[in-house]
Amino acid sequence: MAQAAAVAKPPAPPRRRRASHAPRGLPYLLIGPALLLMLGFIAYPVLSVFYYSLQDYNPTKPWRNGYAGLGNFVRVFTEDPQFWDTLVFSAQWVFVEVGLQLLFGLALALIVNQTFVGRGIGRALVFSPWAVSGVLTSAIWVLLYNSQTGVSRYLADLGLGEYGTSWLSDPATVFPAAIVADLWRGVPFFAILLLADLQSVPKDLYEAAEVDGASRLQQFRHITLPHLKDAIILSTLLRAVWEFNNVDLLYTLTGGGPAGETTTLPLYIANTSVDAHDFGYASALTTVAFVILLFCSIAYLRLSKFGGEKK
Amino acid sequence: MKISNRTSTTGRRRTTAAVALGAVLALTVTACGDDGSGAGGDKGAEGSGTGKIVFWDNNGGVRTDVWKEIIAAFEKEHPDIDVEYVGIAATEYQSKVDTAIQGGGLPDVGGVGAAMLAGFAAQDALEPLDERLAGSPLDGRLNKDMVESLKAAGGGDGTLYSVPTSANNGVLYYRTDLFDKAGLAEPTTWDAFYEAAGKLTRSGRNEFGYTIRGGAGSIAQALDAMYGQSGITSFWDEGREKTTVNDPRNVEALEKYAALYKKATPAADVNNDFTKMVAQWDSGTIGMVNHNLGSYQDHVKALGADKFRGIPQPTGASGKRVQVSNPVDGLGVFKSSKNKEAAWTFVEFALSRAQNSRFNESAGQVPSHTDAAKDEWISRAEPTKLAAQALNDGSTTIVQLPYYLPDWNTISKADNEPNFQKVLLGKMSAKAFLDTMAKQLDAAQAEWNEHKG
Repeated sequence: MAQAAAVAKPPAPPRRRRASHAPRGLPYLLIGPALLLMLGFIAYPVLSVFYYSLQDYNPTKPWRNGYAGLGNFVRVFTEDPQFWDTLVFSAQWVFVEVGLQLLFGLALALIVNQTFVGRGIGRALVFSPWAVSGVLTSAIWVLLYNSQTGVSRYLADLGLGEYGTSWLSDPATVFPAAIVADLWRGVPFFAILLLADLQSVPKDLYEAAEVDGASRLQQFRHITLPHLKDAIILSTLLRAVWEFNNVDLLYTLTGGGPAGETTTLPLYIANTSVDAHDFGYASALTTVAFVILLFCSIAYLRLSKFGGEKK
Repeated sequence: MKISNRTSTTGRRRTTAAVALGAVLALTVTACGDDGSGAGGDKGAEGSGTGKIVFWDNNGGVRTDVWKEIIAAFEKEHPDIDVEYVGIAATEYQSKVDTAIQGGGLPDVGGVGAAMLAGFAAQDALEPLDERLAGSPLDGRLNKDMVESLKAAGGGDGTLYSVPTSANNGVLYYRTDLFDKAGLAEPTTWDAFYEAAGKLTRSGRNEFGYTIRGGAGSIAQALDAMYGQSGITSFWDEGREKTTVNDPRNVEALEKYAALYKKATPAADVNNDFTKMVAQWDSGTIGMVNHNLGSYQDHVKALGADKFRGIPQPTGASGKRVQVSNPVDGLGVFKSSKNKEAAWTFVEFALSRAQNSRFNESAGQVPSHTDAAKDEWISRAEPTKLAAQALNDGSTTIVQLPYYLPDWNTISKADNEPNFQKVLLGKMSAKAFLDTMAKQLDAAQAEWNEHKG
């Protein structure tokens, strides 16, 4: 029996030989510079913000600076209606932006994943907005929405709408106008990521499904979507965090206006720190935003079972 | 096979996601980072009087060419001093300096206008200049009102932290060709202004009487229109504890002024900062715009000098002109400079008659050097000439805005610009807007008075 077991036992894999010439500390030495940079540029500023969130700190009023305890946080939750307004608007902005970007990005990825004449040019056109810098994107849309040089002026020339108007200055149209501008920049992000994942779907799955009589919609639902699940979860999560923190486009397009209609929480934080110099309170707002994002991100990953087994 | 591969990489994916997410979230927090290391309190040193100094221009881009000319002339006269010019956009200047005060990296010398002076002085970032000015050939040669204005803006202890280069002034620019065509009188009174705004508006033909500033910087322009119409001559009551901004006469004036929005102005004005407002006026279909002397050259380039005039603000019902103060601009030496002697040499040179004249001719502003103010170019730059006359001939009363309050920028920008947009959009009454601002101003003044003892 013992002999039989010994025979049945597979041979042990050959042991890997350690690189005998490499000094023991070499890996630490190699990651050292990256670690130092992360400590300097991420850990220190993060801890600094946590520290200032417990302080009254306004450099233009040094006589008031000092330890504030949880005072800034109490102010955030009980005395500052603007915090709640901007938080609600931020959530609205993230949901609409990420949802539409995913929808259009997926549609474009599916289209440019097909074989057709001019596919290379089509792909380049789809991805090109992602290569445009945020500043240029903002400048393009500022011009497009300008009342004298933009689309509304030419529509007015055609008798559609009034002169001197801009969709960015009307509370009823500013939100969709800003959404469209940011969609132009954000859709390619999803298209690129999803196209990359689409190209790894085995063709034989579709062939087998076709033999079984599955329609295109059924193939999309039962093969494509499950395959894209992890890519969708990760990309929507990253994009949601980026969109939540979006300051440049809205600041340039609307400055948060008109009348605070497009002020997101990060824009409010930027105004509180840069314009009002209230760095202690701005740090508390930032800490709260961080905790909210962290909580939402973990909940999203758990609920969506990111990285879990496919059925 | 594919599925099994995906299953085996689950842990790695989770780790990758966690790392990516952690980094992104961490950047959320670092966006508000501030090290508070306090470079503003650095005492600096006199230095050798030679070598390199760094100069920060507080209106980079707009004034870059003229500053480069002045620096070239300076380096020719002082070959042992090398000036490094750094142009910073006016809108970014305060945050750049504040960041440098906290984190280090301040220049030796830089633009320090009245609007920012209190904040920089409170952070102990500026070198007192009274003694240097007293021992300089500039002593007695600079406009006394401008010097006093900067002393008052510096924090209330009468110390001079910035030496004036120029004064600005509110200007009503109007299109002479459009006025002539419509047979309208010059808008020298507020009544004439409102009449012209209405009569020049034909919105169906893309013609408007006026363009209002609804975006960044709107508060100072609204205050100018309010005090100009109401004729109230002081920002504070006699006890200097309560502001006059919400005086019923100011409320009435603001209601009338804000009612111009969309009736005589483009609807897009609600978001306009000065760049957009000036560009819109220069596009050629609007009768009037309020701005300061700084945009004169832009209008000349866009329209030609013969199609418009720039006159002082209209006079009120009493026949007197009341305007709010425009910040005096100046140059300051930063306390942390290791070469203050050379920095001061540069300030003296830039404020000499020839260079001060050169700078202000380019900027279209009123020179601080009393001899430069008599130079021939001023008679050719009509808005500057009229502004200088208005400021000096006793016809105008200036309402001094409280630049000395550390909260002034907050109150006049972050706190109330969105509310002014609400007034324009009809979502807030002029009274509620001014009452809110008055409450904030009174609280800021009380805190300031308490701090100063």
